[in-house]
Amino acid sequence: MSPLRSLHNALGATLAYLWSGWGAVASILLFCALWELGGRVYGDLVLPGPVATLQQLSGMFDSGQALPELIISARRALYGLGLALGIGTLLGLLAGRSMTAAMMSRPLVTLLLGMPPIAWLVLAMLWFGMGDATPVFTVFIACFPIAFAGAMQGGRTLDNKLKDVALAYRLPWRMLLTDLYLPHITSYLFPAWITALGTSWKVVVMAELLTTVDGVGAALAVSRAQLDTASSLGWIVAVLGLLLAFEYLLLEPIKRRVERWRTEPGP
Amino acid sequence: MSELHIRHLYHRYGVTEVLADVGLDLYAGETLALVGPSGCGKSTLLHIIAGLLTPSEVVMQSTFRGLACVFQEPRLMPWKTTADNIALGLKALGVPKTARQRQAAALAQRMGLAPEDLAKYPHELSGGMQSRVSLARALAIKPDLLLLDEPFSALDIGLKAELYRQLEEQVQQQGTAVLMITHDLMEAVRLADRILMMVPDPGRMVYEFTLQQPQAERSSTWVYQTTAELMQVREVRIGFGLDEGELPVQISHHEQHSGCSV
Ligand SMILES: Nc1ncnc2c1ncn2[C@@H]1O[C@H](COP(=O)(O)OP(=O)(O)O)[C@@H](O)[C@H]1O
Ligand SMILES: [Mg+2]
Repeated sequence: MSPLRSLHNALGATLAYLWSGWGAVASILLFCALWELGGRVYGDLVLPGPVATLQQLSGMFDSGQALPELIISARRALYGLGLALGIGTLLGLLAGRSMTAAMMSRPLVTLLLGMPPIAWLVLAMLWFGMGDATPVFTVFIACFPIAFAGAMQGGRTLDNKLKDVALAYRLPWRMLLTDLYLPHITSYLFPAWITALGTSWKVVVMAELLTTVDGVGAALAVSRAQLDTASSLGWIVAVLGLLLAFEYLLLEPIKRRVERWRTEPGP
Repeated sequence: MSELHIRHLYHRYGVTEVLADVGLDLYAGETLALVGPSGCGKSTLLHIIAGLLTPSEVVMQSTFRGLACVFQEPRLMPWKTTADNIALGLKALGVPKTARQRQAAALAQRMGLAPEDLAKYPHELSGGMQSRVSLARALAIKPDLLLLDEPFSALDIGLKAELYRQLEEQVQQQGTAVLMITHDLMEAVRLADRILMMVPDPGRMVYEFTLQQPQAERSSTWVYQTTAELMQVREVRIGFGLDEGELPVQISHHEQHSGCSV
């Protein structure tokens, strides 16, 4: 591949990505406009507008109130998510290798996916008390089936025809991994991982709201108790903003890079 | 000299017998064409020779060391560029990156691919381009036994002629043995030293045709004439369903080719 061509490709991909970003920004702005309208209609007490909310949020950051809570929540979410992705992916790949294991685990996955996180939260409170372990466990159990199912799908759908090619050309086991299994499986893992990320962030806030004394969820509980709608919205915006930033600035570009071979050729 | 001998090859998928008492011999520098109607077990035979399928029963002896396979579909890795797909076997052999990229580029050119195609992914290539990449991938490792499963069926006439030339060159320069599956009799007559006719239910060899004419002296007229001649053979006509008739199953051709050599 000539360096010029790859440069051209990379540039094109970046531009395309930025362009798709404009679409997202436009739709977010539209949403803000509707939000502002709602604020005007119902008044600041019920629904503070986006400007008021952002002011409140920046005040929370300035007073040093927001950042520590966000970090605590992020830490819990990432612990749970990391555990779920690690264990779920590993077990999912193993299950994908065997027909029996796949068939046996399918109903279990459906069960786990269908179980509302709040039910797990109640169990976790009974098992782990009010500490860090409860939100981490709840996040783990909510994300685990997602990672597991994605990995199992990837393992199951590996094309036997491509495996034959690998055998016929005597690929050593390391190349089997890097040139066959991983590229194939990544394309299944990535979407699952992104879904799991969103889930982890939602679940951690919920778990904190009901169980812990710190973290974003706990702060939300406090602002709710004080009927402080502006702060509540501020926290919500912070949570959403972090999620969007993580997904669109980090995961989505990686995904595009990893799955270059899937995108249709540009015009 | 490298050679391949197969005797008493039986293969069953479940209970259906797909190959029954198949035998063949192949020597270095020789091109053997395997013709027969669709579903008679040609691809299965090729997979068995490539070691991808274990037959129910076989006596097989091979002294070929480097085997390359062109499958019926291109079977390119969708996540690899043309260059990387061509270089797959070279990478497996431990050829350094720059060297294998250079060889891949040279081969792509020989196959009539444009330099800008090298950076494309399979989904950006046409079917014909994909089969050429698949052929280039096989030639890249300089095999001494080349197994081809209908490699030219997706190509237009001009490209076919060009690739025939490439293949002949490969055989002449490197003494590669070629086992080529085709359902195009004319292609078989043009390229092969020997033609084996297979029929289904169960898959077996029913006829062998040796072409004495050297490759270089095969004019189009000669190819047409010989093909026409071949089309008159009873086994061929029945095998391809042109004539009514039964071909007995209990044929053992082993004695027929045991004396064959180049
Ligand atoms: N994986 C398989 N499982 C069961 N039957 C198969 C399989 N592959 C091929 N067959 C059957 O074996 C026969 C020979 O197939 P194949 O070798 O692909 O024929 P050809 O290449 O001559 O068209 C066909 O009847 C086909 O249906
Ligand atoms: Mg076939």
